[in-house]
Amino acid sequence: MEDQILSLAEARGAQAEVFGSEETRTVVEFRANEFHSQESRLTHGHGLRVVKGGRVGFSSSSNPDKVGELVDAAFETAEFGKQCCFEFPGPEPSPAVKTFENRVIVLPALKMIEWGRELVDAVRARVPGLKLDVTLDRTYGETVVANSAGLNKRFARANLQLSATGLLVNDGLVWISEFENLSSGSPPSIGALADRIEERAILARSRARLATGTYPVVFMPTAVPDLLYPLLVGVGGKQLEKGVSPLIDKVGRKLVDEKITIADNGLRDFGTASAPFDAEGVPRRRIELFDRGVFNGFLFDLATAGACGAESTGSAVRDYTAQPQPGKSNIQLLPGAARLNETLAGIRHGLLVHECIGGGQSNVLAGDVALNVSSGHLIENGKVTGRVKDTMIAGNVYEMFANVAAVGDTVRDLGSYHVPFVMFPRLKVATRD
Amino acid sequence: MDSTGEFGLDRDNPECRGDVSWANYRPCSPAGCPRDGLPSNHRCCLRVSFPESPARRLLKGHGSCLRLRMRGLTSWSSSLRFEGQKMDNLKPFLADVLSGVAAQYADIRVEESEETGIVYRGQELDQIGRSLERGGCIRVFHNGNWGSASFNQIDEKLKGLAKDVAAGVEALPAKPETLGSLPALSDSVTVPEADDPREVPLADKHALIKHYNDILLKTAGITTTMSMYHDAFRTTTFLSSEDRCITQESVYTGFMCRALTRDGTNVQDYHDTFGKTAGFSSLQNREPMVERIAKVAIELLKAEPVPAGKYDVIIDPLLAGVFAHEAFGHLSEADFLSTNERLRELMKIGTRYGVDELTIVDDGTMPGERGSFRYDDEGSPAQRTELIKEGRIAGHLHDRQSAQQMAEKVTGNARAVSYRFSPIVRMRNTYIEPRAFNIEDLLDSVERGLYVCGSRGGMTELESFTFSSQYARLVEHGRQTKMVRDVVLSGNIFETLKNIAMIGDDLVMFGGLGGCGKNGQGPLPVGLGAPHILIRNVVIGGR
Repeated sequence: MEDQILSLAEARGAQAEVFGSEETRTVVEFRANEFHSQESRLTHGHGLRVVKGGRVGFSSSSNPDKVGELVDAAFETAEFGKQCCFEFPGPEPSPAVKTFENRVIVLPALKMIEWGRELVDAVRARVPGLKLDVTLDRTYGETVVANSAGLNKRFARANLQLSATGLLVNDGLVWISEFENLSSGSPPSIGALADRIEERAILARSRARLATGTYPVVFMPTAVPDLLYPLLVGVGGKQLEKGVSPLIDKVGRKLVDEKITIADNGLRDFGTASAPFDAEGVPRRRIELFDRGVFNGFLFDLATAGACGAESTGSAVRDYTAQPQPGKSNIQLLPGAARLNETLAGIRHGLLVHECIGGGQSNVLAGDVALNVSSGHLIENGKVTGRVKDTMIAGNVYEMFANVAAVGDTVRDLGSYHVPFVMFPRLKVATRD
Repeated sequence: MDSTGEFGLDRDNPECRGDVSWANYRPCSPAGCPRDGLPSNHRCCLRVSFPESPARRLLKGHGSCLRLRMRGLTSWSSSLRFEGQKMDNLKPFLADVLSGVAAQYADIRVEESEETGIVYRGQELDQIGRSLERGGCIRVFHNGNWGSASFNQIDEKLKGLAKDVAAGVEALPAKPETLGSLPALSDSVTVPEADDPREVPLADKHALIKHYNDILLKTAGITTTMSMYHDAFRTTTFLSSEDRCITQESVYTGFMCRALTRDGTNVQDYHDTFGKTAGFSSLQNREPMVERIAKVAIELLKAEPVPAGKYDVIIDPLLAGVFAHEAFGHLSEADFLSTNERLRELMKIGTRYGVDELTIVDDGTMPGERGSFRYDDEGSPAQRTELIKEGRIAGHLHDRQSAQQMAEKVTGNARAVSYRFSPIVRMRNTYIEPRAFNIEDLLDSVERGLYVCGSRGGMTELESFTFSSQYARLVEHGRQTKMVRDVVLSGNIFETLKNIAMIGDDLVMFGGLGGCGKNGQGPLPVGLGAPHILIRNVVIGGR
């Protein structure tokens, strides 16, 4: 169908690009220890970008009966569209990356239900009273990009993820979340997942108090993305183009602690955002955003690269309903040398953070964060003790990452984030106590 | 080679059963699949050609996805056409699809929508586009279990998909749950022609948002802007096995303007948004709102971060509405409550959590508000539901299943963000009812505190909430003084409700761009609002 749309657009004297996606998604859900539903979603649609008279127009459709209207709408919007400052890329080979595994694709929904049941039973046996929600979510999708410069590329991706959230009612509500990326085809590690949930549930039984003040704080891998997100908003080419990124004029400068190396890696095998090429057909690559604390550069798609006098970094992201934008793929914070038990042993009075809510709500562009610690524990004389409640951490991530005490030696796969724990020597913590 | 033999790879896979005899296929060459991204050693790649397709399009499928993808993708030239989407054409076909489903309950919902979006960033038109969506969702309930599938293609193969969903549900272990029943019904809800944004030329929509964006750009001190226009016209057709047949049109037009200011590394921004389930003309003459956006953004650049601590706070109607929605509305959603006894105990009808003056309502029947509709996505009529009445828990928000589970009445809160999803329990227009005090009364009773305005969003994990304001002013001895920024409120909802000290008389409802997110479904159009309220002892995160 993309060929048909492309030729209709070209016949009207325009350069054109068609982005098509088809997706089959199977979601199995358990709620409060019980099987709840099995859902499938079959989606397909096309986005059409045209360049006519030097201006860009766009339309999208999931309705195959309206191909003519789709093309009309793109030309209609091109009359008002943005000046085009790029050319569509021609055919160019894409790098190899594992984006799907047969075992994931052929996995029956009943097997997904069985795994969910096994996890619920394992956790129920260990933590009576905990209500577990489990979601197994498999997506199989195919993406095609074709344009007037002769590019016509297609790839397939299968993601399988298990997420579990336990709810314990105990001096208020305690939420315990777990996640496992199963896209490489291995079955879930039920025992290890249940161990981690049990460990957190035991810790949650006792309540600890922490007065407002400045403390050493350890962010466990599950909470690290809340800090990386605002740190990396400014690396988008769009923010550079619009002059709003705090990283403007900072390329090549050391901005954060030298223990910090962060890569955007679209080529990580079975990463949930991995792909051989981006949403405009440009080959994906591994991009070091921060190298031992030094900021290396921005992420570009074709349009922002054109506007900033740079080249696309293969970072265009989109779904068929929207025009491409530069965006992150899989973020990797490279591991350091610190071991968790040794790090905790060295803390006399501090905070261990498992999960936060409120990420992304503050002025993220400036790097500000204000996180409500929804699951955190007091560290006392090297030991993790009770749960702290009503605790907030607020500050600026550029300032926070400028002084990092330790980066963990073990990385957790959280799908599109691949991160170890991070310890900050001094953070301001606000509490009710 | 026997055709089912090749599928034998997945023979044990219940998703792979089905009739493939109509397809001719051959396995991929041993050298590997010619398609990008597939490893050469995978065994389940099949080439399938569809004899009935005039173009003889070649499709390739992979394992268990093959059958489903065939249904989604097969030659669209043979798909049924419902030009103009006249209900009269579509209804009998959908009824036919449902009649083939052997289950206790089934429904099907088909949506067709047309949307326009325009985005300005600074002086440049950044995005302009139109989208034409069509798709639907089938749900089947049997022996206490749900199964569902969403789809884009509306053709004969839908009947097979519906049967597959029913077969999948039947294979599950039975549960004792039921759905109750609704009487047969046929209804049609239309939008006045004058409100249809499809009738407004694209040039007019473009001119309006450019005009508002230009107001911001012309203001000295503004670094850059983002301004967004959005409209949507949607027709939903709902049919159920209970003989409920509803066609419902809905419309939304809205815009958002954001101004950014920058001084070195200090970057600040302020935005406001307006929207109605009414026509294009409702967006005109909003210049005062846009001028205010520029003014606040400039003042924010000089504002200092608020010191962390506990404050008495006066919350403006927008943020108080977000509070009602985030902190209490979500807690009233019965899909959580119905499965958790202890939580249900906390939210038991009659339990006191607030002062006598506090009444919180979720209402789907308010004319013109963003979360209003006649029927929800299960075909239940919308209604007004009191969540807290005079300080005590008065009601919960239900879909059909949760109402049965808790032996309460259906409230018409089953909503889906689009045809891609099954409906879940969601809010509509959630607000705090106004009382007698005016804003001066509230200010007079604050010795040292904050007047907190605007919302950057909020999040809850049931009893814990956190939400961010856009700015605040210190209040000293009843008077507003300097502006402060980075004001984030957090706390425990039950304690915070008890700390509501005064409720104002100035209810304002909001329905701008954006919406509510839950279980991966967002942004769902909702309305929210409140009068000014005063809460004592709120934890504010700051520097």
